[in-house]
Order: sequence, then structure tokens, then C-alpha cells
Amino acid sequence: MKYDVIIIGSGVVGAGIARELSKYKLKIAVLDKASELPSGASRANSSMIHGGFDDKPGTVKAKFCVPGNKLWHELKDVLDIHLDECGSYVCAFNDAEIKHLEELLEQGKSNGVPNLEIVSGDKMREREPNVSKDIKAALFSPTAAIINNFEAVNALIESAKINGAELFLETLVTGLLFDDEKNIRGVATNKGEFSAPVVINAGGVHSGEISSWVGDTSFKIIPTKGEYYLLDRATQGTIHSFLFSCPSKAGKGITVLQTAEGNLMSGPTATEQDNPDDTSTTPEGLAEVLKGARRLVPDFPVRLNITTFAGVRANTESGDFEIKTLKNPRGFVNVAGIKSPGFTSSPAIAEYVAEMLKEELSDRITLTPNEKFIPERKNIPRFLYLDMAERKKLAEKDNSYAQIVCRCETVTEGQVLEAIRRGARTITAVKMMTRAGTGRCQGGFCCPRVAEILSRELNIPLDEITRHGGESKLLTGRTKEPLLKKSKEAE
Amino acid sequence: MSNKNIDVLIIGAGPAGVAAGIGAKKEGANNVVVLERDWDLGGILQQCIHPGFGLRTFREELTGPEYMHRFIQQAHEIGVEFRTNTMVFQIDKDTNSVWTMNKDRGIECLNPKSSVLTMGCRERPLGAIRIPGTRPSGIYTAGTAQRFVNMEGYMPGKKAVILGSGDIGLIMARRMIWEGAEVEGVYEVMSWPGGLRRNIAQCLDDYGIPFHLKTTVTKIHGAERLEGVTVAEVDDTMTPIKGTERFIECDTLLLAIGLIPENELSRMAGIEIHPVTGGPVVNDLLQTSNPSIFAAGNVVIVYDLVDNVSDEGLIAGANAAKFALGKLSPDIKKIPVKGGENVRLYSPQFVTGESDTIIYMRVTHPIEQACKVTAEPGLFTQKLRYARPGEMNEARIKAAQVKAALEKGSLNEIVIDIKPL
Amino acid sequence: MEEKKFICVSCPLGCGLTVTLDNGEVVQVKGNSCPRGAAYAKSEVKDPRRVFASTVRVKGGKLPVCPIRSKTPAPKDKLFDIAEAVAKLEIKAPIQIGQILIHNVCDTDVDIVASRDLEAVK
Repeated sequence: MKYDVIIIGSGVVGAGIARELSKYKLKIAVLDKASELPSGASRANSSMIHGGFDDKPGTVKAKFCVPGNKLWHELKDVLDIHLDECGSYVCAFNDAEIKHLEELLEQGKSNGVPNLEIVSGDKMREREPNVSKDIKAALFSPTAAIINNFEAVNALIESAKINGAELFLETLVTGLLFDDEKNIRGVATNKGEFSAPVVINAGGVHSGEISSWVGDTSFKIIPTKGEYYLLDRATQGTIHSFLFSCPSKAGKGITVLQTAEGNLMSGPTATEQDNPDDTSTTPEGLAEVLKGARRLVPDFPVRLNITTFAGVRANTESGDFEIKTLKNPRGFVNVAGIKSPGFTSSPAIAEYVAEMLKEELSDRITLTPNEKFIPERKNIPRFLYLDMAERKKLAEKDNSYAQIVCRCETVTEGQVLEAIRRGARTITAVKMMTRAGTGRCQGGFCCPRVAEILSRELNIPLDEITRHGGESKLLTGRTKEPLLKKSKEAE
Repeated sequence: MSNKNIDVLIIGAGPAGVAAGIGAKKEGANNVVVLERDWDLGGILQQCIHPGFGLRTFREELTGPEYMHRFIQQAHEIGVEFRTNTMVFQIDKDTNSVWTMNKDRGIECLNPKSSVLTMGCRERPLGAIRIPGTRPSGIYTAGTAQRFVNMEGYMPGKKAVILGSGDIGLIMARRMIWEGAEVEGVYEVMSWPGGLRRNIAQCLDDYGIPFHLKTTVTKIHGAERLEGVTVAEVDDTMTPIKGTERFIECDTLLLAIGLIPENELSRMAGIEIHPVTGGPVVNDLLQTSNPSIFAAGNVVIVYDLVDNVSDEGLIAGANAAKFALGKLSPDIKKIPVKGGENVRLYSPQFVTGESDTIIYMRVTHPIEQACKVTAEPGLFTQKLRYARPGEMNEARIKAAQVKAALEKGSLNEIVIDIKPL
Repeated sequence: MEEKKFICVSCPLGCGLTVTLDNGEVVQVKGNSCPRGAAYAKSEVKDPRRVFASTVRVKGGKLPVCPIRSKTPAPKDKLFDIAEAVAKLEIKAPIQIGQILIHNVCDTDVDIVASRDLEAVK
């Protein structure tokens, strides 16, 4: 299969680049080893759109964070993504930390972050009465926001697909292909070869390994685990914004936030590990999160926890993003080491990558604007948020919207069917696209129902349906089979 | 039937809802409608295919579907209307309007004269106990696994570990064995079993399945399908004891870690929810804080026996009918019930003395010696050989006694307790 | 004299029974709260039985399986044979509750019956 550009990885970075490049007349292939999007760090993170005061001026991160923030506020409506423009507070508990807030304020100003201000603890508590009485002051960043990261990544890739890009899931890149001049010719995968003169490495926590295949070991990925608690939506309103502790050498510390859907959440830890794919939570990590959460919100209602999870972010030794085209081999582009504020920065990174291709790889591909580019994309209807008249209208038009599948999040069969039409093949894919299974029973009720719908619509046996691809089958066969097998063996 | 003039609307056609329909109809309500989100009536009992139901009501042990069959037949005979595939997704706080959806009827708004909440309970999920590790497939609540096995005809796995000793978990242990699967053991974090002793005897002991008290799962392993769990013994503060960890290879983890009354709709309706039972605060008429809304069964408090659920359903249905027919006085005096030191939860929380009533309760800590249940002042006393958290106790209160005490002006509260003799 | 202890499964009370045996004959039952406990103790010592409950495969039914039970308690040591016999069976919908599906399963004098109605679908 011949393409103009291959993008390895369909996290927020890869999907964002795919959408940006679909504004040009290019044949684009996006490859991801996962069975559903987002996976990796784009799935398991704080879903924060940072204000942009945290990054040292002069870093690549500082260059992209503020413009990225601005772009997300625009994409919110264009791509129909939930984004809660809630603002963030960095909380100071003592004079030394207040001094640090002042430094952050100056840094933010120089990064171009609008409307930053330091407010007193009491002023902050007028809006956030449940935060610690010990908070003396806070840096308020009104442009900071919280995004529904599941929706955002799916929105980007769907938009790219609307404009001609092709997505290949369960496609693991196993190596790179080179032409006679030792320049990039494509990639080898578990599903065969894909050819293209340009390959973009947006492999997240695996981007270092992929980069090493072309001998670029100028940076090293340090997989860094972040663990989180996610609480029942009944906690909605405990806080209304994104709360940071004062950053220390150890990082931004434990945060407390309310997700775009109204769940209270806290995390992450920052534990370096060798295994880029180990997303298990640990007793120590969870204890650390709880301690940090209670420091900010003393009555953090952990008894209403519905799940714990961990993501592995692609930290680098330099702490900065690695975005460049390589001279040797030609055609290879690194968009690597994208850690916090990576989600925020990604739309700006995508624009930059497009410019970089124009300027630095014009000998390999030409970026001619695609006049037919359609910027808009609509999300699957969110039944939960519709008013009664809209719900009635939807149900009258299509009666599958008059059938609840996920009762915690009020997700209808219609939404599940639409997710399947948009490419969902696993329980987790449906969850990412519709929120079925993200509520307080964590799929106890809807998982069998979603499995039945997948089985029926895709015409595959129920015991072939997986939770998230690979060997993650829900069931191990029909009842009676084990007994009949035993009986046969006995004969 | 039209949506106008519904006297009593019942939400959920499990054992409580079907009984409530019968109760309402017998009390003289004309239009009694029971809504059920499933295609079939009977609720969770349709998947409880093991015997053990109805000994009190029918003097014989029936399976879940058999038990429900008898009630459903009776309900049909006396003209209860059932609407299946109909889910209530909202109750409005101020108007008590009930919003339903159904593929044929679309979205509808019902305004009954009274309602009965009979939504039952749901299982506590994995998130509630925050076990570290991965999130592979193969982890189910016992009830979800039961649905797969008994209704869909599929096996959730080949080798299971069961966490928690609630009755469904014990029942599923035997069910898995009878289908040719392996069950490695049952692990319970408390020092006493969650389910009934007879289920430990007939579901575990009969098949040599080890039962470990004061032991829990401390880690989940496996990226795609479950590959195993780590279990460890816990100390008196329920903290895992270092050095007791053990890895068990298994592809299935079934959770039987408790049931929670399902009250999303009750909360929407603005009904007062009891912080300990997790169900609506009710009086002995099973009337909630909203006088036109009644509640019965596991939505109020999780019972051991379906017989109790049906009994309560009948009561709630009858009183909802009285309310609908204007036969229930709006200003009945309510005596608050208080629980003593070793009473963890109880229901109802108020007694009116309108009719004889049962206060259901559970102890906090087991009493493994002769003890007695009391309802003071002098309303009830009964000796017991023991009292255990997994087995509900009752205080039977006579209406006449409550009335007499009320007339004397001596009754401000009823205190229930269970103490060693 | 020999003593055996077990839990009575006749009802949810789950009484702890102590049975005294003399040459295999029950001479005393202690711990029971009702006559059924005594009867259970005697049966449990001489001829332990349990009700078997499972499902059978169904063709053309609203559900792919139908719940079944042994109409009466079956010998405990035959339960796995019965499970196998039931596993081999496949029946056609519609099915009526109480309908006998296997007569005298595994020569136990016990019948296997359907424990719910199950309608047919086209």
C-alpha cells in the first residue's frame, strides 16, 4: 500500500498531525497497535489543557503550549468536543510557595499566557469552598481547561478520516524500510508493508525505540507512570476547576480536578520504570495520590472511587519535546518525547509539523492545500446532555435511541450503533466513543449488552468479542462445552 | 392502557415490583402499571436458577424463575399491567413525573397518583475496593457472570478465584463447578462470611472449594486476559500482612463483595436517602420522604430472602394504592426508630402503628452466643442462638402496642438492639 | 459411638447439626431448630442428596439456554453424571415450566424438569 505519509501512533499527537496533514492533498496512513483510540498516554492522563505558565521560556514546550491552548478552544466547537473552560489554580501553602507563584506568574507572562493572577486563599475558596483552609494563595489561570480526552482523540482521527486519511488499528510497526539511498521508503508491520516517502514517529512512549531504528539516539525516553483515582460522578461540584500543588523538583505533583464529564479525579504520580507498557496501579502509588489529593481537598471522598488507572508518559532526559526531521535517513520525522503539556500542545505541534514538512522535506512530498477540506466533525449524540425535546426528537427519528444500554452514563443503543459505524470493534472502543462503561458500575451492567450488540452488528460470535483486542476475550466459550469435552475424553 | 389515570406506577418488575403490583391491585387500585427495562419479567431472579427461594412463602424451595412464575401468574390474573422493554430514566423532583423510554412507544412522561420504587440493588464493582494492578478482561461481578452462564449460555472463564463471600459468589462457585470449570478458592477480607452458612456448606464444602477468611486479593495481573491474582492475609485493620502474599494463576476473578441499593432515580426524585442503608428513608407503610412515592425490596435495604422482598412489595403496593385512592391520612404520627450499639443498619426508620410491622436489621459484629433482639420500650423481645452480619434479624412490632403506647403519650422513639444475654 | 457435624441446608437458618451414630444408625441429632433438620441429618448420613440446577441448550428459543432442575433431590455422588447428561441434551422451544426433560436421569429415579417457560422465536 502506497502512501505519501505514514504516521506511527494515533495518540493525540499522531491523530492531530493526521488531521492537520489532511488539509493537504496527501494520502495518509495512521498506524496504531491498539484496538481502540485513544490508547497509551493519550487515554490515561489528567485531560488538562494547560494555561502555559509552567514551561521555561526558550523550551520547545513553551513554544507550543500557549498556542496549543488557544487552538483547543477553537477546536472545541469545530470538532464538537467537551471542553470545560474551568481555569486552574496553583496552590501555595506557605511564603516560599507564594514566592514561587510570583515566579510562575512572570514566566507565564513571558510565555504569553493571558489573564494570569495571584489570588488569596480566601478568594479562591469563594469559588472552591472544599479546598484546604491552609492554602494561602493561588495562581489562577483562566484559560486553562479540562478536555474529554477520549472524545478529543477520536474527534481528531475522525476528522482526518473524513478528509481522506486512513486509520489502521491493531497494526504494530515492527521496522522501517529503506530505499537504495538508505532513505525512508516505508514501514514493516504485523499486517504487512506500508510504503511512503515520509514516516512520522509519533510513537509516544515507544518513540525512543522507533527513533533508535534510524540511529537517532540523541534523546532517551524514560517511561514514567502516573497513577490516578477516578470517582463517581456523584462527586460533581466538589471542585469546579483544576488544582495543582506548587511544582517542585519532583514535577507538577498530585493534582485534583473535575473531569469534563463531572467526575472528581486525582493524580498523577511520577514513577520512572523500564517497561513502557506497564499500566498497573500500585499500593504505594495510590497511597501517594490519596495523600496529595487530601492535601488540596481534605475531604476528598475516596470511598466514591469507581476505578484506578495508570498511564505511562514519554518523559525525556532533557524534559523537552523532540520534534525534528532527520537529515539521515531522509523522510524520517521525530515527534517524540511528548509529555505534559503534550495534550495541550498537540494542535500547535501538528501545525508546526506541517510547516516543517513543507520547508524541510519538499524534495519528498508536496503539500498542496486540499480545497475540499471539511473542518467540522460531529460527535456521536450525547443522550445524557440533551434536553427532553431533543431526546424525543432523536428517539422518534431512530428508536435505537429509546433504549438505554449503559444506565450509569445514560448511553443509548443508538450511540453504541453509531460508534460501531465509526469503527468501534471492542468493548473499550465503544467505551471511548460513547462513555458506556465509564460510570459507577464500570461496565457491570452494560458490558454484556454492548458485547451482544457488537456480536449482532458485526456478525461475530459473542465469545469472540474482546475487551481491548488481542487475547482480551470476554468469554471462554459456550456452557456445556467443558462438560462435553470431558465426557468425550472419558470415552 | 393509556397513560392517563395511572393510579399506581411501579418501577421494576423484580420480586418487589411484581408483589407491589399485586398489593396495589388487591387494595382496590384500578390502573396499576409495572415498568420493566428487560424484555422479561422477574428481575434478577430469572438468572438465579438454583433452588433456595420461597420456603417461607410457599413451604417449598423453588428456583428463582419458579418463584417468580407464581407471583407473575397471580399478577396477571388480577389485572396488573406490565410494560417490558421500558426503562425509566428520569423522575422529576417537583412534579413526580416519570420519564420512560421504549422502542415502540418512544419517550413518554407518566404522571401517576402514586409510585413504588422497586429497582432492586446492584453489585459493588471492583473500583469500590481499589485493588492495585492491571485491568484485563476476565473480571466480573458474580451476577454478571451468572447472567452470562445462565441466560446467555457462555462461560466467563475456565479457572476462577472468587473474591468476597456474598451469596451470589458462593452460588456461582458451585455453578462454575457444575459447568466443568475450576474454582481455586473463595477469599473474604472479613473474619466472617458474607453469605449464608448453608451456601458455604452446599456450594463450597460439597466440592472441596477452600474458603479463606481474613484474606483478600491485593494485585491483579495480566494485560489482555487475566493471568492471575495475588492474595494476602489481612490484619485486624484489613491491611495486607507482608510475607503472606501468594500468586494464584487464574483467568477469571468473580466479585461478590456486596450489594448496593440502586437509587439513581430516587435521588433524581429528591427522596431522602439513608446514609447507611443506601436506600430511601421509609416508614412502616414503606412511604419515602415524598408522600406519593413508596419503596420496597432491595432498593430500600438489601435483604437475605426474597420472601421478605415480596412481603415488603405487597405492603408498599397496598399503601401506594391507599394513597392513590385518597385513603391514606396525610398526617400520620411517625415514631423514629433508633438502632442500638451493635445494629449496623435497619429499616424502616419510622413506625406509625397503622399496622403490625417488622423492623429488619443487621448486626455490626457477630455475636456467637445466646443473645436477644429487643425493641424498646417493651415492644419486642426474642432470644437468638447467635447473630451474624450475614443473616438479617427481625423485630416484630404489634400495631396495637404502638397505638396503646402512643395514647399513653409515652412513645417518642423505638430503640432496637441485639445484645448477648 | 461416632459423631458427625455438618450444616443443615434445608433452610436459610443453616443450623449446625451434630449427629450421633451407633453402628451407622443415627441415634441422636442435636443443633436443629425444626424436624426438617433431623430428617436432613438422617438423610445426609445415609443417602446425601442435593437438588441439581443447571441449564440445557435450546433451539429456536427466546434464550439460547433454559434453566432446569432435578424435580427432587438427587444422590450427591451422581451430580456430575447428571450434569453430563444434561449437557448432552438439546431441546426445542417452546418449553413449559415443569415440563419433564429427562425421566429417571442416570437411573436415579429423579426427573429433570424445566424451571421456566421459554417461548419460541421465529
